[in-house]
Amino acid sequence: MTTQTNPNQATDKSLEAMRHFSEQYAKRTGTYFCVDPGVTAVVIEGLAKHKDELGAPLCPCRHYEDKEAEAAAAYWNCPCVPMRERKECHCMLFLTEENDFAGEKQDITFEEIRTVTNQG
Amino acid sequence: MSAASAVTDATFKDEVLESDVPVLVDFWAPWCGPCRMVAPVVEEIADQYMGQIKVVKVNTDENPSVANQYGIRSIPTLMIFKGGQRVDMVVGAVPKTTLASTLEKHL
Repeated sequence: MTTQTNPNQATDKSLEAMRHFSEQYAKRTGTYFCVDPGVTAVVIEGLAKHKDELGAPLCPCRHYEDKEAEAAAAYWNCPCVPMRERKECHCMLFLTEENDFAGEKQDITFEEIRTVTNQG
Repeated sequence: MSAASAVTDATFKDEVLESDVPVLVDFWAPWCGPCRMVAPVVEEIADQYMGQIKVVKVNTDENPSVANQYGIRSIPTLMIFKGGQRVDMVVGAVPKTTLASTLEKHL
């Protein structure tokens, strides 16, 4: 069992900021986290990592030819345009009630996230 | 042991395009939530169709050339290659039945 930080993880500061944002945004939009908290955890870590690297929480569930240009364009910065317009989050961070994978939670702790993402 | 082996920009041609059997390619990224959900499905497919197809995965962060070449946008994206050509594609965390029925069309 190792406790060393995964070099691919975000800073604690960005992770906490994105964790807090995710909870607030789920409550505000009436959406829920995935029944598998591992999905929620890796997406929040990915958003925080992009916030560190690019200055914006670019969606971690897409591939970009140029991440800096995409972050500047802002379309896929979380909450992305499809989420804001139609509550569509293909990353499965914010799920509407009728989604088969929607859980009952709108909260996740910092420790819950890192327990998942420490495993690489 | 993982049934789906990792393929890179450098090995994609040999492992996928020049394969004698159809190849299922799982394009994924480390901090993509739905990729975590589809990974076990891909492993099950690899076991179930062992000998009939090859199953590989490409980390799009580490292998941007292949990802760009095939126009990967939303991930996970699952592509089926046969005879060096892309013949089908499924986007998102799909159930095993969906992936299996897509695959069956090309066996």
